[in-house]
Amino acid sequence: MKKAIASGNFLRSKLFWAIVAELLILLVGFILRPDFLSIQLRTLSDGTTVLFGTPVDILNRASEITIIAMGMTLVIALGGTDISVGALVAVSGAIALKFLRWDVLVYNTPGDYTVQPFYLVILLPLLACTLMGLFNGALIGKLKIQPIIATLILMVGGRGIAQIVTDGKQFTTQYTPFKFIGNGSILGLPLPIIITLVVVLGVMLFVRRTSFGMFVESVGINPNASRVSGLKSGTIILIAYVLTGFLSGISGLIYASRISSNDSNNAGLGYEMDAILAVVIGGTSMTGGKFSLTGTVVGSLIIRTITTLVLYFGVVSEAIMAFKALIIAVVIVLQSEPVRNAISRRRDRIRTQMGGEARA
Amino acid sequence: MEISFPGVKALDQVDFTLRRGEVHALLGENGAGKSTLIKVLTGVHRPDAGTMLLSGQPIRPGSTQEAQKMGISTVYQEVNLCHNLTVAENIFIGRQPMKRGRIDWKTINRRARELMLRMGMDIDVTQPLSAYSIAIQQMASIARAVDINAQVLILDEPTSSLDDNEVVNLFAVMRELKAQGLGIIFITHFLDQVFAVSDRLTVLRNGRLVGEYEAGAISKLELVTNMVGKDMNVIYNLQKAPRPDEAPVVLEASGIGIPGKVEDISLNIRKGELLGFAGLLGSGRTETAEMLFGVVPVHQGSISIGEEPLSLRAPLDAIRRGMAFCPEDRKRDGIIGDLSIRENIALAVQATRGFMHPLPQKEQQELAQRFIKLLSIATPDADKKVGELSGGNQQKVILARWMATNPDLLILDEPTRGIDIGAKAEIQRLMLEMCKEGRSVIFISSELDEIIRCANRIIVMRDLAKAAEVDGDTCTQADILAIIANEGEGEEAAV
Repeated sequence: MKKAIASGNFLRSKLFWAIVAELLILLVGFILRPDFLSIQLRTLSDGTTVLFGTPVDILNRASEITIIAMGMTLVIALGGTDISVGALVAVSGAIALKFLRWDVLVYNTPGDYTVQPFYLVILLPLLACTLMGLFNGALIGKLKIQPIIATLILMVGGRGIAQIVTDGKQFTTQYTPFKFIGNGSILGLPLPIIITLVVVLGVMLFVRRTSFGMFVESVGINPNASRVSGLKSGTIILIAYVLTGFLSGISGLIYASRISSNDSNNAGLGYEMDAILAVVIGGTSMTGGKFSLTGTVVGSLIIRTITTLVLYFGVVSEAIMAFKALIIAVVIVLQSEPVRNAISRRRDRIRTQMGGEARA
Repeated sequence: MEISFPGVKALDQVDFTLRRGEVHALLGENGAGKSTLIKVLTGVHRPDAGTMLLSGQPIRPGSTQEAQKMGISTVYQEVNLCHNLTVAENIFIGRQPMKRGRIDWKTINRRARELMLRMGMDIDVTQPLSAYSIAIQQMASIARAVDINAQVLILDEPTSSLDDNEVVNLFAVMRELKAQGLGIIFITHFLDQVFAVSDRLTVLRNGRLVGEYEAGAISKLELVTNMVGKDMNVIYNLQKAPRPDEAPVVLEASGIGIPGKVEDISLNIRKGELLGFAGLLGSGRTETAEMLFGVVPVHQGSISIGEEPLSLRAPLDAIRRGMAFCPEDRKRDGIIGDLSIRENIALAVQATRGFMHPLPQKEQQELAQRFIKLLSIATPDADKKVGELSGGNQQKVILARWMATNPDLLILDEPTRGIDIGAKAEIQRLMLEMCKEGRSVIFISSELDEIIRCANRIIVMRDLAKAAEVDGDTCTQADILAIIANEGEGEEAAV
């Protein structure tokens, strides 16, 4: 009996409908092209074996958004939002490439190698993005500035900073260890997927093994009552933005590694919207409160699956955005409360009828 | 007119009949099923079984809007209006009369004024709602409800934030509407008011019908016994602890204040003492409590705990020093509605530990179970959302949150407002017990009999300042009322 109620709740949850939507989109892909879901092991020319296939590609390419969306989930659960993440992705790539191409920038002796210790190439972008997250967090958590305004500063300013860091230039690199981040694979699994798994599990553990998740929800649901109960909401908000900044940095490294280059104008473009969308599709409300990291992962996969589907079937590139928007609109309508309730009511009714017949 | 529905879930085989032109009080403890009954009537919930008849016609409203169209209007405890719109706009919002494609402001304002006048309110309806008192705001929501061709008017705790005069006024309006043929369902926790205005009463307990009575045919004690289901004499025989004059001072405040809000409050409280705060709403009671707990910063004066001066930047500082605070506005400052009972109870304890040292799930569960049992919180399990509990049970959860921190000093701001008489008595008993355990309690309440019954010493607030301090054992309601009402006298009342 209790189980039935629990599953009933699950059927009514947004997460359930997000999973249904994801499966439906995959099914559409499968019907149109049966090889859409195929996965195979292929041996590359250098002897390594890698998993190939659209599902792997979806997981791989969803990494950047999924990683950012982990932080975004907490930010949104706190009733906030962070629109600077896309710009932070650009900053991360710019700093990485600056240190990879110190040769050109500082010594003016072009060569396809780095003269900096490699760990700095990883650490400095992450540090910079964490500090920018701290800036966001301080404005919002301590000075109580509206999140959208506070993060607008770095959304605009971040790309400027990226330009300044690289003197407005675009570099490329062939340095193998750096290229490995976005393009390499371990045991056949693309490295971005592994990084994403580590980040997702790490955030989940942090949030649920400590009381941080409960504090985030508490502040998101009722900031006044949380304060009276002794929570330091400012600090909790600050941590969420710092984490989001840090994760944007990771995402930026993956992106820069994939294209082996920095691109202050296009790196992470529109990521803030994709990340917010992933969180919302995953069932976390923009008004704050209860959140679901699992839901966010599914949300991020939905967005990536749609993009892949559209690309796969050769929709003209001009129409991609419109097409994506259309599918997202359908997903969101499916998830809306009236529709969910209507469907589950209908299901209940059918079940009662069937139950009645069975008894009869 | 008859509405009946035997066998609703959470409501079991309840029959309820409302006649045209009567005030019918609906009574019961928190969680007795009053709200569920109202929600079924207004189309929020659908009954699983049973029928509703309105003027002989079977009805089955699917939403509040549908119910309204059928003539069932509700005025809720919290005023659900827009404070920045004018009174007239609020009355007609969503159904503005139009004239040549534009909103007909003249008609709106004229008709709004007529409606308010009909209820004895001679006010300027073109002023924003926020310019008026809660009482007038409530009248506006009644005016709105009545104007939607209502046949049935449901008033859910309409008097909980009104003063005595305003209540009298509301009753006059209710009688007037009754005379016009409306059926009024009146839900309240104030039993005196039930007898003052109702024609008949229906008592519910645990989702079941206890009985339907003519107002004149049942005594107050009988009624309470029916509501609670146990003998009330036990509860009326509360014994307060003797005044601990020798005990050490736990907290002392001297001259604390915030210019323009409260000024120059000095007080002390001893270990094991129950200090009452009396005074009208807005007399500065809540502000004082908030200063003591660090909710608002203190601008003047100083607070000390024991011998040590105390600087409070946030409630957490006060909690760490052994204080606890149940705020007046339970919904705004108390409960975290979407979190479970368990999480709500563990919240303050967890806040003092910091999030990196989580209380293990098992301990949280034990903590919750212990308080659910101790405070008899009505819930199937600790994982139910607090927002789904009734008001009295929510209050108990907040109390549990603070008792879990094992405080030396508890500040309770109107802990018994809007909860039923059984829960009220239980909370009073708990306060007295905590004092006996050597804790100190500051008890703020608008109900004087309650304060006198419990407090050792009473501070009377008036006009944002401390007016007097009186002995809880010897003073009477009349003494306190005199201080509240009077400017000159009463200051010298015995301490």
